[in-house]
Amino acid sequence: MATLSMRPCGDFRTTYRQDTKIFDTRNSRGAMVIFLAALYALVILPQVVPALADAPIIGWFADGYFLSLGIQFCYYGIAALGLNILVGFTGQISLGHAAFFGVGAFSSAWLNTTFGIPVLLCIPLAGGMAAVVGLIFGAPAARIKGLYLAIATLAAQFIIEDLFIRMEWFTGGSSGSLADTVTLFGFAFDNDQRYFLLTLSFAIIMYVLAANLMRSRDGRAFVAVRDHYLSAEVMGINLTKYRVMSFGIAAFYAGIGGALYGHYLMFVSAEAFTILLSIQFLGMIIIGGLGSVMGAMLGTIFMVMLPEFMAGGVSILQNTEWGNQPFIINGLAFFREMAIGAAIILFLIFEPDGLAHRWKLIKAYWKLYPFSH
Amino acid sequence: MKKVLTATACAALLATASVGTAAAEDGVFVGHLEDITGATGFVGKLYGPGVADALKYINEHGGIDGTPLDVESVDYAYEVPRAISQYKQWTSRNHMVAMQGWGTGDTEALISFVAKDKIPVWSASYSGHLTDPTGKNPKTQKPAPYNFFYGPSYSDGCRALAQWADEDWKAMGKEGAPKFIHAGDNHPYPNAPKEACAEYAAELGFEVLPPVVVSLKPGDFKAQCLTIKESGANYVYVANLGPSVVSLVKSCKTVGTDVKFMANIWGGDRNTLAAMGDDGEGYVFVAANAFWTDDVPGMKLVKEIAGSDEYRTHHYIRGVCSAYYMKEAMEWAKANGGITGENIRNGMYAKKDWVPNGLEGVCTPSTWTAEDHRGMLTASIYQGHVKGEEISIEKIAETTLPRRDDWLGY
Repeated sequence: MATLSMRPCGDFRTTYRQDTKIFDTRNSRGAMVIFLAALYALVILPQVVPALADAPIIGWFADGYFLSLGIQFCYYGIAALGLNILVGFTGQISLGHAAFFGVGAFSSAWLNTTFGIPVLLCIPLAGGMAAVVGLIFGAPAARIKGLYLAIATLAAQFIIEDLFIRMEWFTGGSSGSLADTVTLFGFAFDNDQRYFLLTLSFAIIMYVLAANLMRSRDGRAFVAVRDHYLSAEVMGINLTKYRVMSFGIAAFYAGIGGALYGHYLMFVSAEAFTILLSIQFLGMIIIGGLGSVMGAMLGTIFMVMLPEFMAGGVSILQNTEWGNQPFIINGLAFFREMAIGAAIILFLIFEPDGLAHRWKLIKAYWKLYPFSH
Repeated sequence: MKKVLTATACAALLATASVGTAAAEDGVFVGHLEDITGATGFVGKLYGPGVADALKYINEHGGIDGTPLDVESVDYAYEVPRAISQYKQWTSRNHMVAMQGWGTGDTEALISFVAKDKIPVWSASYSGHLTDPTGKNPKTQKPAPYNFFYGPSYSDGCRALAQWADEDWKAMGKEGAPKFIHAGDNHPYPNAPKEACAEYAAELGFEVLPPVVVSLKPGDFKAQCLTIKESGANYVYVANLGPSVVSLVKSCKTVGTDVKFMANIWGGDRNTLAAMGDDGEGYVFVAANAFWTDDVPGMKLVKEIAGSDEYRTHHYIRGVCSAYYMKEAMEWAKANGGITGENIRNGMYAKKDWVPNGLEGVCTPSTWTAEDHRGMLTASIYQGHVKGEEISIEKIAETTLPRRDDWLGY
């Protein structure tokens, strides 16, 4: 997959075909297909044969807790990928991604409850609505960049967040709005297993689309704008078009992720889409690897698991005599925030290329085992 | 590289260890949502332990006729989405039978969820919207068949305050219509009684002014206070709580507004008065149960539950009442077909004008019926007096409102 990092020495591509491959080798493509197929099979199996739901390993795939984490990987992963297209591939910056995520969630709920459009159709439509909002708020990107753009998107975050509270006809105001669950031909995706399969399917589609986008003319234009905007302009790339388009695509992805989030929780409230979530999205792509499609997913998994690990660690501490202190137990919420900050700092120092790069190294290690340097 | 792999393996082990805590098989699961770190943490820190201590005490003394309660208390920081995902986790993973909830935003958002899953909820939100189980009143947005709370609803509390203010106005011998104003954030909790109370205040002959938006997060509220001052308001209904209320009262003293502050049930307690200092003199608020220092038979049990003699606010005691009403409903359920959500709910209807055993004099007698979840219509009104370090709280009125049908669920 296309990444930000340079190719290692000795990794030659002699044809364009080779250069645009999504998976480096046939084996890695096969492994991914088998992995996803196995994931579908393992989640479907306990659905069809309920007795298997209590079986050792297969039981994990019927467990509401693990599945809810899986669902979070998918919808946050889609949104993070959108931000990665904007930040990692196009080199823009956005501090308002959570707001677009929220626009998606509210739009989908609103379209469904007001016009009775089937939810499955509302999700892409919500993506479209978020994209329109993204294009509007991305317009400053045509003129400004860097820190100034960051402030402009920060404004978008606060303006949209405020509108969520005020536009009662659209969002239900401060009390939020209810979102229906997804149904397809009378089949309701109303439990975690089914919803996981739905979000997983969405995630696969969106990831394949993004991977394809990056090897298209537009995708290469994004990378050119990121790497050297002057050279890109000299080569005839319309900077304004691609910068704004990147915002639109990022917001589209955020909208899809947000819509999936809303229909999973079945309730959308403005409180969820704060600046903190925007920062978390940035954290996801920094930790996962800027400019890497797979990195967006790895970073999302890391970011979703981090608070779970913190909670687990605190509950272990709670069982020890010296750790059962009120400041530790009550401090969990603060530990979480601190851990996110610490993780971002540590990754920036020790792993600036993110988890995607680390994953490559791990693969290389096993490929060359036992003769790695 | 090896280090990384070992670290990953360790992390994976830790994960399996931490998430592998399954629910006890023989007990029943009760979820407890509390807010310690969020916008309402000021009183959440007082109420949450009341519920948790009571449930712990129940478990230490035989549980529900021998069935232990498996309780998990979670601080959700007053964020509705977190409450909902926690609720979903509890229902799918822990087979929750009942829940002790907290805020208005999350409780109102969960109305249809708990109705579908048949899980009774005792919230610390006293929103009037939770009181119509069948949707009998056309004004009810959503019927709430599985929502309970112990205390007068926010709307009824505010109506009681309006009634008190009316009497107070007459007692002072003032002429003309007093002016009433609602001061609170644009948030489900302060919004809950807004319309209902304004309607009743108008009915009583108040001139109801447009509400003032005061953030739940404390700040400099001099601008809002100037608005209140210029509007000529006489009675301010304080719909927020904690630090926000403290800064409001202090800011208003600074700009010199001459008003009486009347707070809802969460807006007044010893801690709030202490934070206000001398500015808190004359501050009026609603309460629904006995105070720690009251000499009533049930206070012995409350003190045993608390495990110390250190002063606890009326919020803590209300938490105990809420947990004990649930406990007795569960006992009824166990004797009448088993501890399921539906039976527990019916257990709440089994008695009339009842107080949980052992809490006589502490909790106010309440009645819930299948058609009306307004447990009580009586609101006690207290006034705080602050002189330097010394704080005293005096009961100034007890108002019982009529059980009007057009007030149900609203």
